[in-house]
Amino acid sequence: MNVKEWIKTLTFYEILLGMKATLSHLLKYRPITMQYPHEKKSLPSNYRGMLALLRYDDGTEKCVGCDLCEAACPSRVIRVVSAEVPGEPTKRYSKEYYMDMTRCLFCGLCVKACPVDALGMTQEFEWAVYDKRQLHLNKEQLLAIGDRAYPVREKRLEFQHPNVAYFNVGFKNIPEKDIQ
Amino acid sequence: MATTQETKPDLVTLTIDGKSARVPKGTLVIEAARQVGVMVPHFCYHPKLTPDANCRMCLVEIEKMPRLQTSCSTPVAEGMVVKSAKSDQVEAARKSVLDFILANHPLDCPVCDQGGRCDLQDFSHEYTATKSQFQELKRVFQKEYFSPLIETQMNRCVQCLRCVRYCDQVMDVKALAPVGRGTLTEIKAFGTHELDCEFCGGCVQICPVGAITSRMSMYEFRPWMLKRADSICGYCGDGCQITYQTKNNSLIEVSSTHGSGRNNGDLCARGYFGYHVSEHPERIQTPLIRQGETFQPAIWEEALEQVGQTLLAIKQQHGPDAIAGLITGRCTNEDLYVFQKFMRGVVGTNQIDSSVRYGHLNGVRALQRVQGTHRWTVSFDDIVEADVLLLVGTNVTETNPITGLKIKEAVKRKGAKLITIEALQPAVGTISNIVNLAHHHFGVRADGFQGAVLALMKSVLETRGMAEDVKASATAYGNDLMAQLSGLAWSRLENRTGYSLSDYGHAASTFCQGKKVVILVGQDVLRASGGYGMTMNLLDLLLLTGKLSNPGCGVAPLAEENNDQGAFEMGAVSDVLPGGFSIDHAESRTAVSKHWGRSIPDSSGGALPQFLERMQSGAIKALLVVGENPLGSLPPVSGIEQALEGLQLLVCQELFMTETARKAHVVLPVCSSAEKEGTFTNTEGHVQAVRKAVEPVGDGRPDWEIFSALSIIMGDSMEYGDVKEIGKEIRNVLPGIRPLGPTPIPSKPDAMVVCGYVGGEYRRDLDSRYRLIDEQPDFSDELLVSLRQSLFHSGKFSLKADGLLKVESEGKLYVHPDEAARRNIGEGDQVDLCNDRGTIRAKVGLRERIPMGMAVFPEHFDQEMRGLLSYAVDPETQVPYYKLAQARIVKV
Repeated sequence: MNVKEWIKTLTFYEILLGMKATLSHLLKYRPITMQYPHEKKSLPSNYRGMLALLRYDDGTEKCVGCDLCEAACPSRVIRVVSAEVPGEPTKRYSKEYYMDMTRCLFCGLCVKACPVDALGMTQEFEWAVYDKRQLHLNKEQLLAIGDRAYPVREKRLEFQHPNVAYFNVGFKNIPEKDIQ
Repeated sequence: MATTQETKPDLVTLTIDGKSARVPKGTLVIEAARQVGVMVPHFCYHPKLTPDANCRMCLVEIEKMPRLQTSCSTPVAEGMVVKSAKSDQVEAARKSVLDFILANHPLDCPVCDQGGRCDLQDFSHEYTATKSQFQELKRVFQKEYFSPLIETQMNRCVQCLRCVRYCDQVMDVKALAPVGRGTLTEIKAFGTHELDCEFCGGCVQICPVGAITSRMSMYEFRPWMLKRADSICGYCGDGCQITYQTKNNSLIEVSSTHGSGRNNGDLCARGYFGYHVSEHPERIQTPLIRQGETFQPAIWEEALEQVGQTLLAIKQQHGPDAIAGLITGRCTNEDLYVFQKFMRGVVGTNQIDSSVRYGHLNGVRALQRVQGTHRWTVSFDDIVEADVLLLVGTNVTETNPITGLKIKEAVKRKGAKLITIEALQPAVGTISNIVNLAHHHFGVRADGFQGAVLALMKSVLETRGMAEDVKASATAYGNDLMAQLSGLAWSRLENRTGYSLSDYGHAASTFCQGKKVVILVGQDVLRASGGYGMTMNLLDLLLLTGKLSNPGCGVAPLAEENNDQGAFEMGAVSDVLPGGFSIDHAESRTAVSKHWGRSIPDSSGGALPQFLERMQSGAIKALLVVGENPLGSLPPVSGIEQALEGLQLLVCQELFMTETARKAHVVLPVCSSAEKEGTFTNTEGHVQAVRKAVEPVGDGRPDWEIFSALSIIMGDSMEYGDVKEIGKEIRNVLPGIRPLGPTPIPSKPDAMVVCGYVGGEYRRDLDSRYRLIDEQPDFSDELLVSLRQSLFHSGKFSLKADGLLKVESEGKLYVHPDEAARRNIGEGDQVDLCNDRGTIRAKVGLRERIPMGMAVFPEHFDQEMRGLLSYAVDPETQVPYYKLAQARIVKV
């Protein structure tokens, strides 16, 4: 045993070395635990939270009641009852739209399946309830979620692209388009 | 089926995508390809239609041919080498064809009802480049009107013109036309009015894309949600195969596939749009027991106990003949069989009757008497293959639309000659008119068929004489008939029918040239006075011309209700045992009773008209009514109201509260044909399976279960586990009832019976059949009102069908425009019809097809009209005749 080692033993060098990270935290204190719900984490933009039904900028519902979300859903969350819009023959909409969120996997397949982007996944996740039945959402509830989660709305489909002549428009409501 | 292929067709060998195909000469390449399993994509081609080759989708490469060829219009040739999927050139061509079609097709698949079963969708997935080369805007058609049933969305149209060709070539309606040119071609009704046609739904079914869809099920479903059940339509006697498509136990739509069933995928308005009847909110949900003036809902046990005990009490007190039963020909064979077994075996009476009595019995009885069969000796295939078709009083488009299609196919595509004796005039209308296709037409009033039939017979026999073998083997018969016919003066016949000797002569020579002759006899004859005699006369005509036993020839009476034929065969007629044997025939009675282990009463129970008398006199105390509505169908003159009032027990097994059910003591809910299993026998005698598509509404039960339960309560148990067990028993009792199969095997005339008939049996009523009935005094201000079936309804049953009510919701008195003008009446005017029985008010409609001096009223809306009807009973078959009335017409 040489002098160097003797000194290390006397000064508890190894212990200090091992405790280096611990001891440095003793000096530089930074808390890791997030004080939820007083503090909230920022979520990534593609976070798959609560589902919502969206509207166009003129306030009309985007959903055309095509049932494709129902077909895409792996856990049978969605039930769509589609019908003709009263007073606007040949226009299709979802008369009733239900989501049983107790079953939802938040896989996002319904959002992918939607041909008109009427479904969106929001950043909401605080949906703990005392009664599971409250998670059986109807169309109004889903639209309300969409309204608060997506304040910026898209233009109607036929105004988005010049070659969409019209899409799901009622009789005599085929829009005049100013497209060159 | 009876048509034997005399010459073997020349076969041609060709190669398609490396597969060798051997097909008959004249086959199209696309058909040959399909047979060896090569699917050539196509839009405009359809096997039922003539090739049009306008969509260019089916292009194929054929070696030694300069360019790509449309396989739907190119017939095969020996040694042809066709390349479809294995050619780059073809692939490129298809891609560009699809690019052209998609240039204007809106990509609104998510909202299109065809999405998921669309040809364009499928081919696009297979052939299109994902990016279109088109930058231009898509065309947009503005809609002008909406149809209550058939919705057109022309933006989706690919202009294949299948619908236009179907409407013309198959339906002969010609309601649709292409309007405009090029990509701006639009399919619409001629003119600016909205679509007003037969509403057969054919265009909806045949459209390869979603341009024509049904409004009845619009947006209610996606194809992958639907559960299918192949069944048989429950309206007319044609027995069309239909596929019920259901979602969550509710009927969404009805379809029929090309190549399936006797209808080969064609339907009429009733079949296609009439399915809502079984989901009507007015369906009876629970058993109802009368308490005073009202009905109280009850449970099955209570209701059945009450019926069973009352029946037992009546039977013990007054004997079994105090109980009678009436069943409809809309029930399945199994229901009908168990019903008659219950009445005969458990109750012990032969007093049963069914709706076959209203007319079809005339035809069946005539067939039985002359040729010993109760079924047709021809099938629908023989109608299509016939050389000469004679239609007598059929009004076939409206009563039996699918039989009508077979006639149209025979005349339009196969070149058959058509002779019609109809209470119709040739005229173009919104629905097709069979007499427009006739080569020889005799338009008579609804009471004038006999004159024309006899005149045609006389002409045939006078110009051509009778067949040699008949002359030799049945001299007396031939001479007697000739004598009868020569007793009729031509001048009288000409006067009576308004057609001259030479008119009949031309028709007669056409008739005689035919090798395969089918005579169709319809409701106008069978349900009117003399119907039985006329059917006999027509059978005589075939006999005398030596055609009766020839394959492909025969007389075919058309049944009105879907299972009229089955009702007869199951023995749901008082004097008929299962299998069509007479109740007086001791041997068959023993045979059947051996099977049943029960004795069968030997006295014939009389027919419906006798029931009415016996009910009025109080001899019948209890009546079981199954699906029938005598109060709603028989005219008041028949005494039906008084008859029902005197009953101690009236039990109705019904779907709806009919007029009769309202008078009942107990009403029992039953299943509609969409809710039960069983079999129906169609008018050509083909037994077909009925399958359950939805669960029964409310507490409804199949009819046979009710009889079975009653038999247990009455202490003579007749138990069945399910319908199949009854089916087995039926096949044991009636080995003659043929197994279910794709096509019927027509019966053959029984030579013994024919011999017996020509040997002397014919004399029994010869004079009455060949005596021209006395002419009605012709009052020029009177009209002959005929109650007739409409294309859009079937009995009173279809009045609960939403779709059909959208086409026809009220009864109008239809007259010829000239007749109306003569009386100074216009379309929509209110008129009073009066005769010595009463006065009723009706709205006038104009139709050019109605003969002068006649008016037609749809029988489905006849509630008040029945008050005017005359009533007579056929002495031979006991068929009540009540479809005609003579009345004055007064403008209000």
